[in-house]
Amino acid sequence: MELEKPDLYRLSSDAKTLTLRAGRCAVCRGLSFPLTHYGCPRCGAEPVEVREETLDGRATLLNFLTLHTRLTPTLPVPLVVGEAEIAPGMIQEIMLAGDQEQYHDKMVVQAVPVEITKDDAQVIACRFVPEGTA
Amino acid sequence: MIKLSEARPVYVIGVGMHKYNFVSDVLYIDMGLTAMRAALADAGIPFPEVESAFIGIGMAAGRIMFNHLGSTGLACTQVENASASGSSAFQMAVNEVALGRRDVSIAVGVDKYGDQVRAVSKEAVNQLSDTAAIPLVKYALMAEYLSKEKGLTGEDLARVAAKNHTNASQNRFAQFQKPRTVEQVLAANTVAGTTTSLMCCPRGEGAAAAIVCSEAAIKRLGISAEPIRVTASALQSEKPQIGREIPSVTLAQEVTEKVYAEAGITADDLDCVELHDAFAIEEILYTETFGLAPKGEGQHFLRDGGSAIGGRCCVNSSGGLIGQGHPLGPTGIGQIHEIVNQLRGRNGVRQQPDAKIGMAHMIGLGSIAIAHILQKEV
Repeated sequence: MELEKPDLYRLSSDAKTLTLRAGRCAVCRGLSFPLTHYGCPRCGAEPVEVREETLDGRATLLNFLTLHTRLTPTLPVPLVVGEAEIAPGMIQEIMLAGDQEQYHDKMVVQAVPVEITKDDAQVIACRFVPEGTA
Repeated sequence: MIKLSEARPVYVIGVGMHKYNFVSDVLYIDMGLTAMRAALADAGIPFPEVESAFIGIGMAAGRIMFNHLGSTGLACTQVENASASGSSAFQMAVNEVALGRRDVSIAVGVDKYGDQVRAVSKEAVNQLSDTAAIPLVKYALMAEYLSKEKGLTGEDLARVAAKNHTNASQNRFAQFQKPRTVEQVLAANTVAGTTTSLMCCPRGEGAAAAIVCSEAAIKRLGISAEPIRVTASALQSEKPQIGREIPSVTLAQEVTEKVYAEAGITADDLDCVELHDAFAIEEILYTETFGLAPKGEGQHFLRDGGSAIGGRCCVNSSGGLIGQGHPLGPTGIGQIHEIVNQLRGRNGVRQQPDAKIGMAHMIGLGSIAIAHILQKEV
């Protein structure tokens, strides 16, 4: 089964978790996420200067809420959305699996593969769950 | 860098609007012409006196509209800056007159919902969350964070929306025309966290126009309407997020600090503000970043009536984006319309007593922040 967003993550060796694909700039040493083909978003260095760096997919959950209204045609609701620190100082919006009762601020969450249907096909999406429950 | 206060004085001499509406069959040309003709009538000048035009949003919309108002050969530039397109069109018109390139310029904003495609959708960069490019989610998360950190409540958010919907109900150009109570806002559909649908701006369409000119033009054209001077203008785009504050909030503070310095004022001097309240939480955040309320106490400024009409500094007396509407292209110029009417003392039941200085502030997706200070000359 294909990954929904292969540019963002890869399956870990045991296929139970996902690792995240970040970029490290050889010029400014800055870490960026996601890794893109445009170059370094911090200093503007050419793409060739940015090397892939794998993040372990663990993140500190900072805040979250439940989305109740479908804001785009493809977004299922209810959906728990949060902000998490995926690397020191790097805050990203993430989608969390299940309902919000299992989450609390400052807990560690882990990126995991979840099967979803997209454009009539089954793909592996990235969702975060409490660490240790993957 | 040349400050606006050091350049030729620029005055707003005429403003006009077409009512903001939900999506309809009205052509954008009819809306734009209505706003421009109202601005021309307000200024008391014929269209051929306008030397240049900046049009917020729309593929070559300006020339098509001018086919029906007068093909005078005026310089005509389309301006796209997302939600701040109208504000940027106004800034360009102001700059042109300030630099002495033209004596009379018009800024027009006109929009029909659905005409725009967000550039971020063409960036070909995925994000972990499918909501990452949806501003509502970002601001709803900020409201959630502030509820835990600073005791902000759903009632506070509802109080913003109730104030702005009620202001809008007394504004004939506003998209929403019903006064709302805190209870009604809270009882509306929950969108995300504590944010309900009535705490969010609607989708819509409309038009607004503002004519600016030089002192020489005021004399030459015999302008009798009270000119309102534009004393500061600033625009900036966002930097990487540091800590928990949303970049657009940090940005708003930097831009307002610039316009305060340029106009030689402080937040204490402001009598009326129109700000970017696409979501209720924004009004609370921006009243703090603008210095109208101490950091972390925006909800108290609101609860105490500081932002009400007749309060310390009225905020969004037009109804703001939540109540008056947010058709994108016109929104920033609609704010200028409201501020000019306030400073001229002709805002009817929504008049802020003795208003002399006002500020218009917008955020454009991406983000950029833009602000203008307008002053009544005494």
